[in-house]
Amino acid sequence: MKIEDVVCTFCGCLCDDLVVEVEGDMVVNVENGCTLANKKFMGNNRLKTPIKRDGGNWKKVGLDEAIQTAAGILLDADRPLLYGWSGTHGEAQTIGVHMAELLGAVIDNTSTVCHGPSIMAIQEVGHPGCTLGQVKNRADVIVYWGANPIEAHPRHMSRYTTYADGFFLKEAFRERKVIVVDIRKTETANIADEFIMVEPGADYALLSALRAIVRGKGDVLPRTVAGVEKEQLIRVADICMSAKFGAMFFGLGLTMSRGKYKNIRNAIELTEELNRHTKFTISPMRGHWNVYGSNEVFTWITGYPFAVDFARGIAFYNPGETTSVDILKRGECDACLVVGSDPGAHFPGDCCRHLADIPTIQIDPHVNATTHLSRLQIPVAVTGIDAEGTAYRMDGVPIRTRKVIDTTYPSDSEVLDKIYQIIRKET
Amino acid sequence: MRFLLNTGRTITQGSNVEHKNSEAYREEASTCRMNPVDMMELDIEERAPIVVRSAHGEIVMQAIPDAGQARGEVFVCLGPYANHIVSPETHCTGMPDFKATVVDIEPTTEGVWPVWKLMESVGGCRYED
Amino acid sequence: MSELLIKNACVIDPLNGINGDVMDIAIRDGRIVEDVGSSAEVIDADRCLTLPGGIDSHTHVCGTKVNFGRYMSPEDMRAGRTSRNGSMHVTSGYSVPTTFGNSYRYSTMGYTTLLEGAMAPLEARHTHEEFTATPHQDMMANTLFDGNWSVMEAVREKDVKRAAAVVAWILSAAKGFAIKLTNPGGTEAWGWGEDVSSIHDTVPYFEVTPAEIIETMIRANELLRLPHSVHLHCNNLGVPGNYRTTLDTMNLVPDLNSRRQSLYLTHLQFHSYGGTTWRDIDSRSEEIIRVVNASPHIVIDMGQIMFGRTTTMTADGPMEFKLYMLHHNKWSNHDVELETGSGIIPVYYSKKSVVNCVMWAIGLELALQAKNPWQCLLTTDNPNGAPFVKYPEIIALLMSKRYRDQECALLDPRTEKRVPLMAIDRELDWNEIAIMTRAGQSRALGIESLGKGHLAPGAEADVAIYPIRTTEIDPSAQFQQVMAGFSRTMYTIKRGRVVARNGEVIVEGANSTIWVKPRVSHEYDLGNDPEFAKKFQQYYTVRMRNYPVQETYLPRGVCIETEADL
Repeated sequence: MKIEDVVCTFCGCLCDDLVVEVEGDMVVNVENGCTLANKKFMGNNRLKTPIKRDGGNWKKVGLDEAIQTAAGILLDADRPLLYGWSGTHGEAQTIGVHMAELLGAVIDNTSTVCHGPSIMAIQEVGHPGCTLGQVKNRADVIVYWGANPIEAHPRHMSRYTTYADGFFLKEAFRERKVIVVDIRKTETANIADEFIMVEPGADYALLSALRAIVRGKGDVLPRTVAGVEKEQLIRVADICMSAKFGAMFFGLGLTMSRGKYKNIRNAIELTEELNRHTKFTISPMRGHWNVYGSNEVFTWITGYPFAVDFARGIAFYNPGETTSVDILKRGECDACLVVGSDPGAHFPGDCCRHLADIPTIQIDPHVNATTHLSRLQIPVAVTGIDAEGTAYRMDGVPIRTRKVIDTTYPSDSEVLDKIYQIIRKET
Repeated sequence: MRFLLNTGRTITQGSNVEHKNSEAYREEASTCRMNPVDMMELDIEERAPIVVRSAHGEIVMQAIPDAGQARGEVFVCLGPYANHIVSPETHCTGMPDFKATVVDIEPTTEGVWPVWKLMESVGGCRYED
Repeated sequence: MSELLIKNACVIDPLNGINGDVMDIAIRDGRIVEDVGSSAEVIDADRCLTLPGGIDSHTHVCGTKVNFGRYMSPEDMRAGRTSRNGSMHVTSGYSVPTTFGNSYRYSTMGYTTLLEGAMAPLEARHTHEEFTATPHQDMMANTLFDGNWSVMEAVREKDVKRAAAVVAWILSAAKGFAIKLTNPGGTEAWGWGEDVSSIHDTVPYFEVTPAEIIETMIRANELLRLPHSVHLHCNNLGVPGNYRTTLDTMNLVPDLNSRRQSLYLTHLQFHSYGGTTWRDIDSRSEEIIRVVNASPHIVIDMGQIMFGRTTTMTADGPMEFKLYMLHHNKWSNHDVELETGSGIIPVYYSKKSVVNCVMWAIGLELALQAKNPWQCLLTTDNPNGAPFVKYPEIIALLMSKRYRDQECALLDPRTEKRVPLMAIDRELDWNEIAIMTRAGQSRALGIESLGKGHLAPGAEADVAIYPIRTTEIDPSAQFQQVMAGFSRTMYTIKRGRVVARNGEVIVEGANSTIWVKPRVSHEYDLGNDPEFAKKFQQYYTVRMRNYPVQETYLPRGVCIETEADL
C-alpha cells in the first residue's frame, strides 16, 4: 500500500510530501525523501521491550513495571530534570510540562544545546521572520550563515530556497543569488554565488562590519575584517540591499561559537537594518523535526520556550542557571527523565558523568548513547511512523504527522500519561 | 600541534543517528577531518589513529584529509567522541563551546573506542541488543 | 442530570429586555430552564448584579503571534506569576499571559466566551491547540483573508461567488468562525516591504484595491450566510489623519442583513486620528461616531488604550514596523505565505505623551458619543490597547464623569485642546454596560441563537454574578466599587457549573470551539478545483491534504453549518 503526503519526522524542514510504501508493519519504500528520511523510515533496529538495570546487569521488564519504576524514581527525586522533548509530538510535550509542574522539576528541551542562544537573542531584539513559502515564492537573495543545509537539512534548498521555483521566481536557480558564510568550505559553500570564509569566532565582527556598510558608515572599516576583504563585504552588502526580498538562515555556526546569543542579536539587527532599505527576513535552521514545537508548547503553558524550573512553585527561567548543561555540570539534579533525544551523545562528557551517577530514565525507540548511562529505558512508537501527533516546522507552521503502520509499541503520550497519572495520585 | 576543534552535522552522522551502536556511526563520529598539510606535518596517514587532547580529557579518533578545512582547524561531526573532551562551561548561556575547543593532536597507536566503552568510561553500563 | 438554582439574582439581560429585576434563574444540564426540582443545588445571589457570561468579541489570546509575544518577552512573563493552586495550573505573564493565565483571569472577571481576533489559516492548528489549553471559555477564531491570493484573484475577476467559495473552503479547513480582514491588501504589499495608504491604492501584482477586497468580502459573507459579518481592521491603523480612510471605508458598506450589522469595524480608537503627524494628532471621534450613529448596519468596538505597559500584536505587519521605528524597542514580524502577515512590539502608553493621551480620550469618546450601545462594544483589542484585566477600569470611566475628570487632570495639559472628552458629561448605566460587554457581542457575532449572551430558557447557562448591588451604589461617585466589583465575580458559571468563586477558579474547564462550515454546491466546492489545488502544488509549502485542521483538535467542537447561496 502506498501512502501519500506523509510527513517526515527527521529535521526541522518537516517535509510533508513523502510517498511511503508499506507492507504489513514494515515500510518497504520511500519516495521524495532525502537520505535521512529514507534511513529513518526504513530503519529496523528498535529496542523490543523495556529494559532495566540492576547494578551491572540489564534485564527485560514489562511495560507496567517500567512505568511504576519510572514514576517511583521521579517521585523520590528532590530535583528531577526532564530533558529532551524535540523528538516527540506536542501532545507528549504537554504532558511533560504538566508533569514538571507537579514534580517541581526542571524541564528543558534540546534548544538548550542548539538554538537556545537564538531564543535569548530574540528575547532581546525580536525576530523579523516569515514562513518558508514566503521565501520560496519571493526571495531573490538567500544567505546561509553558519549553516550547512546540504548535510543537516538536505531538502531545505530544493523545497524552500535555492532550487525551489516560486510564484514570483519561475526559474529560481537562475534568478536567485546565494551567499554562504562559514569558517570552512562546506558542500553548501560550493554552490554559493558568494562564499565568505570567516575566521572562527569572528562572526560578530563580520556582522558589525556589514551593519556599518548598510548604515552608510563603511568608511570606518579596515581593509579586512575577520579575515574577509572589505571589497567582498561591500559587494555582499550591495547584493542584500538591492534584493527585492532577502532571506537569511543561520545555524549553529552562530549559536555555538564565540559570542553565542550576541552573534544572533547582531544578525537580527543587521536584518532590521536591511528592512530600512528593502524586505529582509531571518530564520534559525531548527534541527529536530519538532524542537520548535517543544518551544511553542512550553511557552503557551509556562511562558518560556526552554529551561523552565518549577522548583519555586511558579515557572522560573534563567538560561545559564536553569539550562540542562549547567544543572548537570553542577551535579544538581538527582534524577533525569530523557524523552526523544540523546544527551549521552550530545552533552559534554562531564554532564554524561552525572547522568550515569543518578537514576536516568530514557523513553526512546532506539538504543543510543544515553541507553548505556540509564537505569531504565522504555521503547515507544516513532511519531510519524507508528504514532501520530502535532509537530511545528522550523518556521512555526504546525503540521499533523501521520501514522503509516501499526505496531504494538505505545506512543510517547501513552507512556507519559501513565507515569503522569501515578504522579498525580501521589502528589 | 594545537588546533581548534569544530563540530557540526554530517549526512552520514544523521543517517546513523538511530544506530548509535553501529560500526558506521562509530566510524563517522570518531573521524577527524584535517587539512592535508597539517596531517603531513604531523606525519599522520589517512585513517591513522590520533589522540585528541583538550583541557577536559582525551579521546582517540582517526584522521582523514579535507582540503576545505583551514590549517589549524579540525572538524568532527557532533556526537559522543567530540563531546567527550568539550568543557561543560556555558558562560551563563546554557550552551557549551561546541565549536571552539582548543585541542592538541598527535599520532597514536591506540584504537578507537566503541560508543558503549566511552559511556562506561563516565560511569555507564553497556547494553547490548 | 445536574440542577442549579440561582436565587435572588438582580438580573440585567438586555437581549430579553430585563433590566434589574430580582429573580431566580434555574439551570439544568448546562442550559437555562423555567424551573428545577427541590433537590437542585442553590446559590444565593443576594440581590447582586447577575449578567449573562461576558463575551469578548475581539481579543488576542491564542495562536502563532500571541505565543510569539510570550516567547520573546520573558520580562512580561515575570510580571505576572502564580503558582499551582487547587485545579489551577501555574501561570505567567501580564500583557500576554499563558493560556491558563488568560483563561483564569477572564473567568474570574465573568467572561465565558472569546473571539480570537486573528488566525492565519495556514497556522490554524496552533490556534486550536491553544484553545484547548484555554479551558474556561468557549472559543471562536477570526480567520484572516486580507492578503489571500485566491481571494484577491477572485476580486480581480470581479467574481464574488468565487471569493465566497474560497472563504467557504478555507473556513471549513481552518475551523474558523468569521472573515477577518486586517489592513486588506496591505499585508500582501508588506511581502515586498510596502504598504497601502488609502483604500484606493492598488496591491502590487494583484492590481486590486482594499476597497474592492472589502466590498467583495462583505457580499461573499452574506452569500455564505455566516453568523458574523466581515470583521475589519481598517487600513492605516495608527496613522495621524487616518480618520479619512475610516470614513471612506464606512461609506462603502451596503446594508445587507436585517439581523445584524453588515460590517464590524474593530478597535476604532486606532482609526480615528486627525492631524498630519505625531506633532499635531487630534481626535476625530466626533466625525467617526456621527457616521456610526447614522449607520445601523455598522458595529464597532472601542480598542481603548489604558496607560502602562503592554504588548502590541497584529496581523498588520507593516504597521508594526512603523511603530518599531518610533519605539526602537524590539520587533518581531512573521509573514504567512499566500495569506497574511503579523508583527509584535512591546509598548508603554504614558500620560506624559500627548499622543497617548489623545488615544486614551478617543476610545472613551467613541463609547460616550455612540447613541446606541449595541453599536459600540467594549474592548481594548487585548493586549494592544491594554490587557483585558483593565476592563473594569474602563467600565468605571464610562460610568463616572468624576473618575474621568480625576484622570484627565493627570494628562499632558495639551490634551484638552485636541479632544472633546472633557466636554462630554454622559455616564453610561448598568444596562448599557451589559450590552457593551455581552449582549451586543452576542448579537454582533450572530451567536444569540446558540444561547450566548442572554438568560432566557434555552440559553447556555453562562452566568456571572458580581458583588455589586446596583440599587445601593452610585457609580458616578463610587467608581472604585464598580471597578472592584467587575474585577472579581462572586460566581462565574459556565455551562451550568460553577467554575470560579471570589477570584479563584475551582474546577478544570471543558470549553467548546465554535466554527463555521458553509455548505456549497459541488460547482463551488474548491476541493475539486484544479486552479485552487495548484496553489498547494506549486506555491504553498504544505500539501492540500495536510492543510485542513483535523477534528481531533476540537475535542468539543460546535459546528455551525450554513446553507450558502452558491
